[in-house]
Amino acid sequence: MRRGLWSSFLVPPGLWLAAFYLAPLGLIVAASFGSVDFLGRVLYKWPFHGWDLSNYHTVLSSAYLPAFFRSLLFALLTTGLCLLIGYPVAYVIARYGGRVRHLLVVVLILPWFVDYLIRVYAWIVLLGDNGVVNGWLGDLGMHGDPPVQFLGTWFAVVGGLFYSYFPFMVLPIYAAVERMDSSLVEAGKDLYGTPWQTFRHVTFPATFQGVVAGVVLVFLPAAGDFANSEFLGSPDTAMIGNVINQTFNAGGYVPLGGTLTVCFMVGIAAFMVFYLRSAARASREGAM
Amino acid sequence: MSAVTAERKRRTGFDRPRFLWALYTAMCLYLFVPILVVVIYSFNSSKSLQVFSGLSFRWYRTFWNDPDIKNSLVASFEVAAVTMVVATILGTLLAFGLVRARGRLGGSANILMLLPLITPEIVTAVGLLLLFGLVGTPLSLKTIMLGHITFSISYVTVIVRARLSLLNREVEEAAMDLGATELGALRLVTLPALYPAIAASALLVFVLSFDDFVTSVFTSGAGTSPLPVRIYSLLRVGVSPEINAVGTTMIAITLALALGLLPLTLWRRNTEPPAPTVPAPE
Repeated sequence: MRRGLWSSFLVPPGLWLAAFYLAPLGLIVAASFGSVDFLGRVLYKWPFHGWDLSNYHTVLSSAYLPAFFRSLLFALLTTGLCLLIGYPVAYVIARYGGRVRHLLVVVLILPWFVDYLIRVYAWIVLLGDNGVVNGWLGDLGMHGDPPVQFLGTWFAVVGGLFYSYFPFMVLPIYAAVERMDSSLVEAGKDLYGTPWQTFRHVTFPATFQGVVAGVVLVFLPAAGDFANSEFLGSPDTAMIGNVINQTFNAGGYVPLGGTLTVCFMVGIAAFMVFYLRSAARASREGAM
Repeated sequence: MSAVTAERKRRTGFDRPRFLWALYTAMCLYLFVPILVVVIYSFNSSKSLQVFSGLSFRWYRTFWNDPDIKNSLVASFEVAAVTMVVATILGTLLAFGLVRARGRLGGSANILMLLPLITPEIVTAVGLLLLFGLVGTPLSLKTIMLGHITFSISYVTVIVRARLSLLNREVEEAAMDLGATELGALRLVTLPALYPAIAASALLVFVLSFDDFVTSVFTSGAGTSPLPVRIYSLLRVGVSPEINAVGTTMIAITLALALGLLPLTLWRRNTEPPAPTVPAPE
């Protein structure tokens, strides 16, 4: 009886997510095997029912592979950079931040609350050809127009992605280090472990859950991002998000956009499954 | 003891926080400087990004006299307000269901809740665009709201669930022993204890919706579009100082909301029950 009451709470949000999350995912798959009629409306084809693999042939031909490859590469670079800098920053706040540590984290994630596009735009203001930094360099006597071309390069894109998603790495690692029993580190030192050994064998394994969460939370949105590449990069740095965006918002062939999206999802599925399993394990361990 | 610790500290350069604090400070600068530059140049009297010619509100006047942008600002508020209310209700219901309903249904609902959190937004946006096309719904602010609510539910659920699972069920049972109905106990005992978490998640959802760009771009139609979509189309044309003023206005709005979140999270900290103590082996 009581169990029935709580289960009934699941129904409205469950139906909502089924209608506006699961059904659209199914439509993407159906569109990816489909085509369009003479009015340009999408003809959906379900797998195994007269499906048509021609969109997949198109996607897996050479034209789209560089964009997939760039998405993967840029997202991996971004994730690595976030981890390399985010871990020590999260660690020092959680271990040595004392009473103000929550405040220190808030300061670090406050810029994230600034609108995403404005944060991308800020880098155009700063590093654009007529931007602030190039103005300074010109004043310092550097020649050229612009003195240094920052934008339109792949490292501008990776820098923008890093700027956009850095907080997603800090927060879970911060939480993990804070949860960790700091006497473990003392024990490691008492056993004459060098700092590196203590880190490798004690601290890092104890905070691994946080690292996994951070890696996934940075990698997934970075791989699907398109604004950074569109505004800080050039057509030569186009990621898969740019291709998908152009297909849908600039009048491309919609079924092909579906196929691109499905291929992208398949590419990142391993990360998503990894995260879900680790989250499920964490909630089992956390359960009373 | 302290001498030994000091000696050890000196020996272990790796763990020495001074270098790490420098890194923290550098990261704060890195994160804040670009935003500050936008804010500063929004008050520039000339069009240039390289010369600061003097303080002026010129670009704010341009922005304020642009009816398109003003309508977009209003639209953003409208979408964020509706998203906040609906997503908070649905997400809170889901949190109760996940914490208190046991069994298979809860398990699959948990995965269904986590998936939208980690699905790249472009994927869900593409799916929604196809759905609205299939059903024949014209794209408008309403379709944007549907999209925003969908990705916001999970955030509410994660925040409210964390608080709910810490609550002591016995207090609710005591209320029922005193004659409250189950829903009465929920309303009088449980919900008041959850208010900080619910309010925090509502504010977060407002900010997420107000700032959202990917879902909005895919689900907005020919009419008035929310501010980030408007900024996107302005940016595609090129950089203009007006964007600095629009951006600074958005920064002011979202930072005010974010600062509203802060006391809520700190309040939660203070009222947390002490962690269960594990007897330490001597």
